Amino acid sequence: MFDLNTKVLVVDDMLTMRKLVGKVLKELGFKDIIEAKDGAEAWATVSSTNPPFGLVISDWNMPNCTGLDFLKRVRSDSRFIKLPFLMVTAEAEKGQIIEAVQAGVTNYVIKPFTAEILKEKLEVAHKKVSGG
Amino acid sequence: MPKLDAQFFKPFIDGTLSTLKVSCLTEAKPGKPFIKGSQKQPAFEIAAVIGLTSSGFIGNITLCFTGDLYLQLMSRMLGEEFKELTHELQDGAAELLNIIFGHAKVVLNSQGHTIQKAIPTVIRGHALETTHLGKQKLIVLPFTTDVGEFHIEIGAEETNGMG
Repeated sequence: MFDLNTKVLVVDDMLTMRKLVGKVLKELGFKDIIEAKDGAEAWATVSSTNPPFGLVISDWNMPNCTGLDFLKRVRSDSRFIKLPFLMVTAEAEKGQIIEAVQAGVTNYVIKPFTAEILKEKLEVAHKKVSGG
Repeated sequence: MPKLDAQFFKPFIDGTLSTLKVSCLTEAKPGKPFIKGSQKQPAFEIAAVIGLTSSGFIGNITLCFTGDLYLQLMSRMLGEEFKELTHELQDGAAELLNIIFGHAKVVLNSQGHTIQKAIPTVIRGHALETTHLGKQKLIVLPFTTDVGEFHIEIGAEETNGMG
């Protein structure tokens, strides 16, 4: 599992959803949680924060810059090729999942989700990036 | 062409039950769907609306809550007690509808519909009622919970493949 001191970025245009994801992360023990309201703000935050983020949890469907566009931007920067990136979405059609995987998503969470589901997805994501 | 019948509404009911259960820790019970105007409906204070567009029809879906029920659901969802419906809290209605819509969209598109992505909006006020224009069929899906009643309105008009 991720170190609970990992800096986490939660990206969603809906304030209540950011609060919900933040609440679940706190329940799991994470302490350092930062929020962004769309992909553009998220990219500005990720690319300028030091020490860097160790985990991104992003919504897909957002105005300005979608979660997918944000993911592509992250992966196009050599500093963030291995940054664990979870996509959270209410629309889980096969084509969409394939698109996210091709863009380099680490794991995928379908809404609605429980704390247990998010924990499982995080564990799988951690194994993937740590080669475990 | 896929029809707007009971099978069409089922994924919205299933999506509502699972969304309320998982996100708001609330068991909802679906009532019997009815045509808008044929039964009395409670007024509501907050609603989320999302456009429904496919190759066969256009319309919209509205998720309607009384203020008290909405506060109870948000309190359960976010794990803190809310007594006032603030601006910050209102996008939860859109998020709930977004999740319900997402569930229904996947099921319906796998059955041959071609429902497109949409972003919900929220309306707020006192004693709100909806009025739909055109020849839309208006179906009300009522639900009960231990903290009150809410409903979903689905209005859709077939476009003979031109939508």
